[in-house]
Amino acid sequence: MLELKNLWVRYGKKAAVRRLSLSVNKGDFVTILGANGAGKSTTLNAISGLVKVKKGQGEIVFKGEKINGLKPGKIAARGLIQIPEGRKLFPLLTVKENLMMGAYLRKDRKGVQHSMDRALTLFPDLKDKLNADGRELSGGQQQMLAIARGLMAEPELLMLDEPSLGLSPLLRQLLAERIKEIHREGVTLILVEQNARLGLMLASYGYVLENGELALQGKTSDLMLDENVKKAYLGV
Amino acid sequence: MPPAGIWIDGLIQSCAYMTMAFGMVLVFSILGILNWTHGQFYMLGAFVVYYAITAVGIPFPLGLLAAGVLVAGLSILVKKIIIDHITGDLYVGVATMGLIFFFEGAASMIFGMQDKGLARVLPGVVDLGSFSVSYQKIAVVSFTLVIMIILFIMLNFTRIGLAIRATAQQPDAASLYGVSVERLSLTVMGIGCGLAAMAGGIIAPLYTINPFIGGIPMIMSLLAIVIGGLGSLTGAIVGGLILGFLNSVVAYHLSYLSEVVLFMLVVIILLVRPQGLFGASVK
Ligand SMILES: Nc1ncnc2c1ncn2[C@@H]1O[C@H](COP(=O)(O)OP(=O)(O)OP(=O)(O)O)[C@@H](O)[C@H]1O
Ligand SMILES: [Mg+2]
Repeated sequence: MLELKNLWVRYGKKAAVRRLSLSVNKGDFVTILGANGAGKSTTLNAISGLVKVKKGQGEIVFKGEKINGLKPGKIAARGLIQIPEGRKLFPLLTVKENLMMGAYLRKDRKGVQHSMDRALTLFPDLKDKLNADGRELSGGQQQMLAIARGLMAEPELLMLDEPSLGLSPLLRQLLAERIKEIHREGVTLILVEQNARLGLMLASYGYVLENGELALQGKTSDLMLDENVKKAYLGV
Repeated sequence: MPPAGIWIDGLIQSCAYMTMAFGMVLVFSILGILNWTHGQFYMLGAFVVYYAITAVGIPFPLGLLAAGVLVAGLSILVKKIIIDHITGDLYVGVATMGLIFFFEGAASMIFGMQDKGLARVLPGVVDLGSFSVSYQKIAVVSFTLVIMIILFIMLNFTRIGLAIRATAQQPDAASLYGVSVERLSLTVMGIGCGLAAMAGGIIAPLYTINPFIGGIPMIMSLLAIVIGGLGSLTGAIVGGLILGFLNSVVAYHLSYLSEVVLFMLVVIILLVRPQGLFGASVK
């Protein structure tokens, strides 16, 4: 469904992602792990078109078509949606307006209403807050809203960038349940996590980035047992 | 108390400042720049109305519309030809400052430097007992109210309004969900500068017109949005009213000292509330 072929992403002269190749099949649940500054967000932003991939710096193929060079909106319109790091909610829009922004490109009113109902079933806390401003929500609710907004775009492939950041263990647990549910409903997932334990627990395949390069990949059940992964990312 | 006429003049000036300020707020919110040529778009709007009436002979409202549309087009060219090719807010600011001289010079060459005036475009007055108000002034106030209502409806109840507010607050997320920030910037530049032109056009029949009339409204509307809160349209309304009345009512009592009062007030407001009276994002 998604394939990166020998991707390089540079900020000025500095390469933040180097010769990265990876592939995600329909229905997969993939995690990308790595320390601070490993290039995880850069990878997602390149896929989403927020960061430009220059000519000859590799290829990004989604559903059989090359998408590098397209504007973020065109990529989103194909069903490839990112829920960005740090939530990036619209603080002065109401919860409802935030959700509507997720559906900005959609014309099918009925479908949008259906997505809204589905998102609110998944995150019932938001139901009472529809008219509150985004900034009035608690941290946990904000993360739920960020995910709900992403679902409003009707993703086929959903990329989540560190959704667990700043959440209490209890909320992290709840979040994990919700993410599993989204996957069960048929959405292909890429989960970027610094919290390696969470990523490995949820996903079935993992990629480990170090300094912008692919250091390791494999089934999460194998990665969990890998000595280097244990030492570097699981703290055991 | 100053006579009613002074208050009405204050209101008229407020209206021009507010309409200008709305445009500056919109442009600032989406493009992240202060457009220093806003005052010259105001001046050009006044000239378009002047020539539309005197040379072409079309009615005032159509002339006003023409001013908005022509200057909107011009501002889109300015964005495409100049602003888009310069990186860094500071450098864009300097470039638009340079355009002040370009437009003032070009207007002087084309239209001449001497004052022009439009006589009695909307003749007649409404008698309110102890004083009267001309239709021309009523038109200015009504026009400004209509602009406010249109902007309010556009921002709060339309798709493009939602996109404008979202982009002002969080441009990355807006573009992730499909807003073309590039296209929106062009639209907003056109609307914002078109508003400046219509502000100049609507009050053109009340004042003299020459290539240099843009400077003071530019400074006043800039101050209005700074004290109101960069990015807040409510702030632009309040700031515009404060400055319009300061300029007329306080000037009535204190003459030139009123400008000292004005700047002291701005400094005091910013010392107490550095973010301006109404905070900082389109709402
Ligand atoms: N906009 C930018 N301009 C310049 N350099 C950047 C930019 N964004 C990221 N970088 C650099 O690129 C590298 C990768 O950053 P990236 O944000 O992709 O890391 P990450 O894996 O997502 O880290 P984290 O877990 O902290 O979010 C870092 O060295 C970072 O400093
Ligand atoms: Mg990151």
